[in-house]
Amino acid sequence: MKLKPLLAALFSLAGASVSLLAHADITVGVTLSATGPAASLGIPEKNTFALMPTTIAGQKVSYVVLDDASDTTTAVKNTRKLIAENKVDVIIGSTTTPNSLAMVDVAAEAETPMIAMAAGARIVEPMDAKRAWVFKTPQNDAQMATAIVEHMTSNNVKTVAFIGFSDAYGEGWWNEFSKIAEVRKIKVVANERFNRTDTSVTGQVLKVLAARPDAVLIGGAGTPAALPQKSLKEKGYKGTIYQTHGVANADFLRVCGKDCEGTLLPAGPVLVATQLPENNPIKKVALDYVGKYEAAHGKGSVSTFGAHAWDAGLLLADALPRALKQAKPGTPEFRKALRTALESTRELTATHGVFNLSPQDHLGFDQRARVMVRVENGAWKLVK
Amino acid sequence: MTRNRILLAVLLAALALGPLVLAEFHITLLNYIGLYAMVALGLVLLTGVGGLTSFGQAAFVGLGAYASAYLTTAHGASPWLGLLAGLALTAAVALLLGAITLRMGGHYLPLGTIAWGISLYFLFGNVEFLGGHTGISGIPALTLFGQELKSGRDFYYLIWFVLLVLVLATRNLLDSREGRAIRALKGGALMAEAMGVNTPRSKIVAFTVAALYACLSGWLYAHLQRFVNPTPFSLNMGIEYLFMAVVGGVAHVWGALLGAGIITVLKQWLQDWLPGLFGQSGNFEMIVFGLLMIFILHRAREGLWPLLLRLFPGSVAHRPPPAAAEPLPRRTLPPAGTPLLEVREASKRFGGLLANDRMNLTVKAGEILALIGPNGAGKSTMFNGISGVDPVTSGSVSFLGERVETLPAREIARRGMSRTFQHVRLLPAMSVLENVAIGAHLRGARNFVHAALHSERGEEARLLHEAAGQLVRCDLAEHLYDPAGSLPLGKQRIVEIARALAADPCLLLLDEPAAGLRYLEKQALADLLRRLRDEGMGILLVEHDMDFVMGLADRVVVMEFGKKLAEGLPDEIQRNPLVLEAYLGGVE
Amino acid sequence: MDLQIALLLGQDGITNGAIYALLALALVLVFAVTRVIFIPQGEFVAFGALTLASLQAGKLPGTLWLLLGLGAAVALVEVASALRDRHTRRIPAILLLNCVLPLILAGLLFVLSPANLPLALQVVLSLVLVVPLGPMIYRLAFQPIAEASVLVLLIVAVAVHVTLVGLGLLFSFTFGETLLQGQTILVVASSAVLIVALYFFFERTIHGKALRATAMNRTGARLMGISASMAGKQCFTLAALIGAFSGVLIAPITTIYYDSGFLIGLKGFVGAIVGGLASYPVAAAGAMLVGLLESYASFWASAFKEVIVFTLIIPVLLWRSLKTHHVDEEE
Repeated sequence: MKLKPLLAALFSLAGASVSLLAHADITVGVTLSATGPAASLGIPEKNTFALMPTTIAGQKVSYVVLDDASDTTTAVKNTRKLIAENKVDVIIGSTTTPNSLAMVDVAAEAETPMIAMAAGARIVEPMDAKRAWVFKTPQNDAQMATAIVEHMTSNNVKTVAFIGFSDAYGEGWWNEFSKIAEVRKIKVVANERFNRTDTSVTGQVLKVLAARPDAVLIGGAGTPAALPQKSLKEKGYKGTIYQTHGVANADFLRVCGKDCEGTLLPAGPVLVATQLPENNPIKKVALDYVGKYEAAHGKGSVSTFGAHAWDAGLLLADALPRALKQAKPGTPEFRKALRTALESTRELTATHGVFNLSPQDHLGFDQRARVMVRVENGAWKLVK
Repeated sequence: MTRNRILLAVLLAALALGPLVLAEFHITLLNYIGLYAMVALGLVLLTGVGGLTSFGQAAFVGLGAYASAYLTTAHGASPWLGLLAGLALTAAVALLLGAITLRMGGHYLPLGTIAWGISLYFLFGNVEFLGGHTGISGIPALTLFGQELKSGRDFYYLIWFVLLVLVLATRNLLDSREGRAIRALKGGALMAEAMGVNTPRSKIVAFTVAALYACLSGWLYAHLQRFVNPTPFSLNMGIEYLFMAVVGGVAHVWGALLGAGIITVLKQWLQDWLPGLFGQSGNFEMIVFGLLMIFILHRAREGLWPLLLRLFPGSVAHRPPPAAAEPLPRRTLPPAGTPLLEVREASKRFGGLLANDRMNLTVKAGEILALIGPNGAGKSTMFNGISGVDPVTSGSVSFLGERVETLPAREIARRGMSRTFQHVRLLPAMSVLENVAIGAHLRGARNFVHAALHSERGEEARLLHEAAGQLVRCDLAEHLYDPAGSLPLGKQRIVEIARALAADPCLLLLDEPAAGLRYLEKQALADLLRRLRDEGMGILLVEHDMDFVMGLADRVVVMEFGKKLAEGLPDEIQRNPLVLEAYLGGVE
Repeated sequence: MDLQIALLLGQDGITNGAIYALLALALVLVFAVTRVIFIPQGEFVAFGALTLASLQAGKLPGTLWLLLGLGAAVALVEVASALRDRHTRRIPAILLLNCVLPLILAGLLFVLSPANLPLALQVVLSLVLVVPLGPMIYRLAFQPIAEASVLVLLIVAVAVHVTLVGLGLLFSFTFGETLLQGQTILVVASSAVLIVALYFFFERTIHGKALRATAMNRTGARLMGISASMAGKQCFTLAALIGAFSGVLIAPITTIYYDSGFLIGLKGFVGAIVGGLASYPVAAAGAMLVGLLESYASFWASAFKEVIVFTLIIPVLLWRSLKTHHVDEEE
């Protein structure tokens, strides 16, 4: 009977998942997109959790890290699992905006603080009873889009074309960018979409070229964002090309090669940590993270996405001691206290900026959280 | 069937008590298993029973989810209105897609659904009012009996109630006239068509019902999750649904539940375990699922459900014959001597081969006409031409004074012609009784909705009573519930005759009915045919056994090389030199 | 849209269409001979491109592990069947073909440092690595159920596709790199040459004729001494060759990911369906149409490109369905 071993496996499986995990003092539940379309963001995040402190304020901290495969449904399932089964005190995740948005309801319902590592402003705005439980570490897309638009206006760009991913990332950027561009009187002359796995974007690029824009913004993440750029160069485009901070990793530079020379993008300061002026407090924190990450994963392996996870860890390390004074971990009171403690974060320097949180603002970044970066000689160069 | 009763009771009790003892996470898993099982159940009906398949079920789930999500968030409509809109939209799409693809070979439907699954995914993702790739959030919770279903625990009973209702409805549907027509699609479409089943319609019914199940699952999903985006409705999920059905047992309604459970739990487990094993992240559970599928299709094509049943052996109870019911109305037979069938100058061409060459023959009510000739003379081709299974190329076929050569087989059957096949066409796994009941298909009228609700039991009893009656008449009373494939070939031929008789025909076409019968059985068959003739039926008979033919037939037509060689009374034919030449001279 | 843009779009469409046409031909061939609707065809494109990219980057291609693994599995199955049939003399040949040769290939890769070889040799090495996967997959997944219905074979094909994509990710081919520009003419020319070569193969060689005979009448071909499993292996070899070759062709003009193959293969399918999975010229023409449609759609409505390309199948199916009217029995 071939079935018996299978049944036995199923039963032991059910049994294993029922048995409770050994309960550490503070449990941090993490769901991130280590696979699927957002994997290039989720993997460095996942690596970063392995570097996080296992004791904070004398309390043991354990991390339960789950993969949601960039899938919203799985993210929600993971959140439920972390809350119900692992009895976590706080949830960190997820990597993408749709996943994080869908998790908000679950976290709020269980009155568990949640720190998202996704950019969408809608995760923490507008503030309401549910979002009171939700925080996030990455800059809003709007902040990044504003940086691009400001750079465009100060460099005399009047018309711009947009080519973005045919997914939530491209769509999110289009929404933010088109809004801000309109306010700043920049004319968007084309709005094109492409798929991560497309082998050709000739049609989109020709459409863009036909509109003769001063600049092109490519709303893609990771190496696939290189294809439109290469295609534009091949067809002889001479204007400025902007990318988003989604491409800020070494693979992108390698794949794009010399076609990316001169490309501009907004990014968190951590991307160019070594080039920051000595008096910038972010430099020390960022270099500390870069050092730790590269020690574990090799030179040049660090990316800005992992730094969002690191910042979430910094927020926790800052808030936990305050919360521990109020209540014991593993209780609803502790989760409430942690939420309040997170809200009272002041002038906390992190790798991407300086946090100043309040009951109204659950991100708390200002313009110190973004810099413009140019690709020069196959490396990121801070634009002064 | 007490074993099944006990298993069902255990399952129901476990389901009812589950929420009292299980953790929130397990409730969530069970909710998803229930939702997935609904979709897989539709695939059981479509793939396991109907022999069709679809990779696009996830897209139908999406239609159900998006229809309600859009209406409730953008227009503040009630979720119930959303459900109706979703079902209507799904039915419309399924009917359109089915009408286009189902007329062709079985593989066009799955290919069509792959394409449609991809297009709909990108459509969801790029249409602005559907929230694009970001999706729609803020979908209201369902309210049932004044109670708002906010948590997964609240939803649990609703999901499993709906699922069990669907399981019951599916079982009802399969155990009915419409259900037999759907079951005949897999391996018996040609026969079913000759018995008057509108097979394209049955295919579309199976496809639409499967789509509606998926839509219902999507609607529940939208209001459980209260958030929709395109990813759960992508082609990959469509493939996963099919995997669930196949792993569980694609021909068994409970297989859907088993498959959904196994795949969901296994996926959860593998996602935790495999990335650790391989030292990197990835959707590696799909490797395991793919290999599992290949293994199951190689070694246990019926899936795991039959294997599971074998762990709980039970005795099959003896079943009494169907209860007596009011007999079905009968056709008034034309008076003896009326011409029933007139074939004029009928030819059939297969490429360069002229299989029938300007054939003429007439069959009258109350006579037995035998069509004989050497192998390859074109007798079965003539049968197919007459019955519309494979229409003639030119010439005319008139039945009861009406030209029928361009009508589909089912329309000719409706007019009172019924037939058997030279190569027996029974559904081997189905009982003899149900096989014969397919013959009576046209004598019932209640549709699949009645079947699912089992509100057609009166008609069903009459159909089964009729089928049983024909089997008794053909001396097969002791085989009513045997699988048709378990009978010796000779008896299977008699089952075919009983099935043809269940249609209450006025003209019976028998293709080599006596082949494989023993002497006494042949005598009994000859007696039966004489009785039918005396009741006023016309019979056209193809047969090789000359003793049988000459003792039975009123007239004989001899064919050779597609042409009519001779026609006359049995005595004349036996003395005809041309016939003797064809039969004896041709022997080498 | 001015004429220049129209021409450029046409050129892009023809380049992609040529690849789809090659795949469509392979799909029609595989279906005609084995009745398998070969969904994993696109994976060979991805594997071909990624293998070439790994070789050029001086990395050991993941396909090597796949080849060694599948080879071992095939050897296991074949040896078991040889022992069962008491044909022990066949065992050395089985082991040589499925285990020793791949191992020699692995040794070569270690010794030669492929990154420094000329391009032509790199291409040959890539093909040698990827093409044997075709017959091996046939042997393991399809040959044991060669007599099953089209539907079962299709589901197995989808399962193979899912497995290969997962393995592609596991063997860490994340993506291939972009190498050189402007070889679109080469793509079209090579496709044309390959199509002509296929034509001669089927018209002039005994193997080609045997395959055609099997496609027309399986039983008849078997009676004439043409083994169905041999024909199956041969056409899977051809399909893998066509797929891998397409991959090698497009590798330099784009970026290929481990899961890029699926959509490329499916677009070939749309072409093949236009040809009713039966006619080679119509399938090729249909595939060119898909390429052109895709190119122009990406200009006019890039967000809806896939919707447009895959909805094309609906009018095509409608047209085909109006042409057929018979009750099919086999399914």
